[in-house]
Amino acid sequence: MESKRLKKIPEKVIIPLKQHLGTICKPIVKKGDHVLIGQKIGESVSYCSSDVHSSVCGEVTSIEEYPNPNGNKVLSVIINTTDSQETVPFVPKKNPSQKDLIAIMQDAGIVEHYGAPTHTVLKPEGKKIDLVLINATASEWIGGKYATPKEYASQMIAALKLLMKASEAVKGAIIIRKDDKESIDAFEGVQVDGKALRVAPILGTRRLGHYFKDQNTNIVVASQQRIYGKNILNFFTYNVTGRKVSVGCNPTDVGVAVCGVKSAKALYDAVHEGKPYYETVITLEGTVDCPQFMLVRIGTPFKDILEGCNFNGEIGKIIANGVITGVAQYTNEVPVTKGTTRITLQTKEEVIRDESLACIHCARCVDACPVSLIPSRLSVLADQGRFDECRQMHIQFCIECGRCAFVCPSKIHILQLIRYAKNAIEGAYEDAAPKESSNLKIGCSCGSE
Amino acid sequence: MGYTISAPPHIKSSKSFRSINMAKILALIPLSLVSVYFFGIPALGIILASVLAAVLTEYGIQMITKQKVTIKDGHAAMIGLMFALLMPPEAPLWIPVVGAFFAIAIGKHAFGGIGSYIFNPVLVAWVFVRSAWGSYTTLTSIPHMGQLSDLVLENGAGLLVDVSPILLIGGVYLIYKKYIEWRVPLVFALTVFFFNQAIAFFSSVISLVQEGVLNPLMYLATMFIFLKVTDELSYVMIGVVFFGILFLATDSPTSPVTKNGRLIYGLACGILVSIYGYFGNYVDGTLYGIFLANAIAAYIETKTLPAMYGHESMLERSYRRVMKKIPSSLKFEVVSDDRV
Repeated sequence: MESKRLKKIPEKVIIPLKQHLGTICKPIVKKGDHVLIGQKIGESVSYCSSDVHSSVCGEVTSIEEYPNPNGNKVLSVIINTTDSQETVPFVPKKNPSQKDLIAIMQDAGIVEHYGAPTHTVLKPEGKKIDLVLINATASEWIGGKYATPKEYASQMIAALKLLMKASEAVKGAIIIRKDDKESIDAFEGVQVDGKALRVAPILGTRRLGHYFKDQNTNIVVASQQRIYGKNILNFFTYNVTGRKVSVGCNPTDVGVAVCGVKSAKALYDAVHEGKPYYETVITLEGTVDCPQFMLVRIGTPFKDILEGCNFNGEIGKIIANGVITGVAQYTNEVPVTKGTTRITLQTKEEVIRDESLACIHCARCVDACPVSLIPSRLSVLADQGRFDECRQMHIQFCIECGRCAFVCPSKIHILQLIRYAKNAIEGAYEDAAPKESSNLKIGCSCGSE
Repeated sequence: MGYTISAPPHIKSSKSFRSINMAKILALIPLSLVSVYFFGIPALGIILASVLAAVLTEYGIQMITKQKVTIKDGHAAMIGLMFALLMPPEAPLWIPVVGAFFAIAIGKHAFGGIGSYIFNPVLVAWVFVRSAWGSYTTLTSIPHMGQLSDLVLENGAGLLVDVSPILLIGGVYLIYKKYIEWRVPLVFALTVFFFNQAIAFFSSVISLVQEGVLNPLMYLATMFIFLKVTDELSYVMIGVVFFGILFLATDSPTSPVTKNGRLIYGLACGILVSIYGYFGNYVDGTLYGIFLANAIAAYIETKTLPAMYGHESMLERSYRRVMKKIPSSLKFEVVSDDRV
């Protein structure tokens, strides 16, 4: 499965100056400037920020607030493209040191798909990382940028070594999905430090620690069930390493850095080819007749991607980042950003229009919940505004995976109600934050949400 | 061009309240047909009268109180059908009509409608009818599984539901298809079926003690009683017990939502039904037993709310305390993998 590029370059690209969590970049181009592919157009002003590059050749027409796939408007650079494919000279870096790597990451604008700039994940301020994980459980990228599976596997290992070097961590692991045979076959037998690799399944209490000891290496490839959801990092970390991340903290608090395949690949390219992060692979879903994977330039409006597909019928809903937790878009003018992983299209008929009924206590949500909450009760409490009681029932543990709302036969908007309560609780308790919660700090809010 | 925007998730499972009710009704239709074949026209009359009365009552109540009419979701029809199946075929036609009215009006709507009632409306109506007009609802025969063919067609059936225990297999299919949850029926069934063996086991142990037997092998041998089919068990293998396990106890508003709570609820149902059944008969025992278990369902639920995610339960804590004391040379498990 080779990913395809768009047939023509979009007429206009919109590059948001904030494609990460943290401070917004300062634009360093102005209206009327001519930019080249890979030219830096936004410069980060603090550590918790990541540079932004142009993905096309063209002329800057304006810098204004523009719709973003996360639902808000973000200051963006709008570029009218020209046909040229001229790039700025890419300079690969030979044998980079740890400091160089961190600088390269910020310079090349490498950002995790969940928003945190990669260098802040690997080298968080005031925390020490001793384990780097590459989460490849959403392994759609295998066909995206690689010719063969083996190339994917060896590049991932090389990228993991770079990440480990950058974070000064001793150990590293790649986590792939249990049912993804393609990836498992790709990694099986790859030579690492003269040893053939074995994919280790994570079962019960046999977590990474066991395999580090068992295989006597510092690099392990493990497989586990698919986890999906919005705030899954803490849950993922616990599942894989057994380290508990308390509520309100992120994996870096326990010394774990979680990276995605995309950012690992971007780092590999940045080091070996000197290319900044201006292209990404996205998946298209729905009744669409077009390649499943598509290599697009960051800033391409959804409109141009959809024009390249033969969509049957009228579009009812455009969803960025998956049907369970993604955000439905109100316009097709929004651009692809570094955080966009997939676009889902639904026809008018597919859009669900159910009415909520009373809860029938069927307990399907309780069975579906991966973090043993009682969503049915939480949604009732949230609906009545009894947020303190929600807090007593550990609502903060919710990873917002949306499974409860998916299975609900009464079609109650459980996820929405839980988010509502969580927001209210965060707003109410922020000033009275207890000391043990380490990330309720003001200012830089890098890391996972 | 406008696009729909809404909060996630953007797809939902196809199971709805309506489809769950319809599935339950479908699962009960074979049994109803066999009961009509077996008991003739009176059974058909009872089923039709009960279903019609239930649906009309719901329609009437929702019209009078100006609520949205929800007879299309099939819940009222399901209650009516279930109530009809609990009637003896000799009952006059007005009994199911009054019973179905009572089930919907008092059992369901007086408590606040779907999801709010604390007692299963079917059982509420049954208990009411049973105590108000006992003479009409007394069984002419208590079913009892004499031979295996009784599982297919029970000749001593006293209620419509007893005619063919095997036809309730639809309920098992619903569990497999996840229309009905599996914890309550599994624990309930195990408790009911092993209760008699447990009693036989304890009585034989006690008799051994009274005889002053000291040989431990004799005591161990009594364990084999659990493998023996006791006579009492044939009174358990009847339609109404299966019906109670698969359809009445699993009624979702009247059972706890927590995972452990459902196990405990199944156990409570099983013990109550067995006590009633052992000392009385299993027909009344099942229905009264589940009715009483409904009363403690809410208590079970509030007492079994899960602890914070990732916390050790009491069992895990004590297991670890014991394992710590055992020298590592004796252990066969993976050592120290909690932290990397």
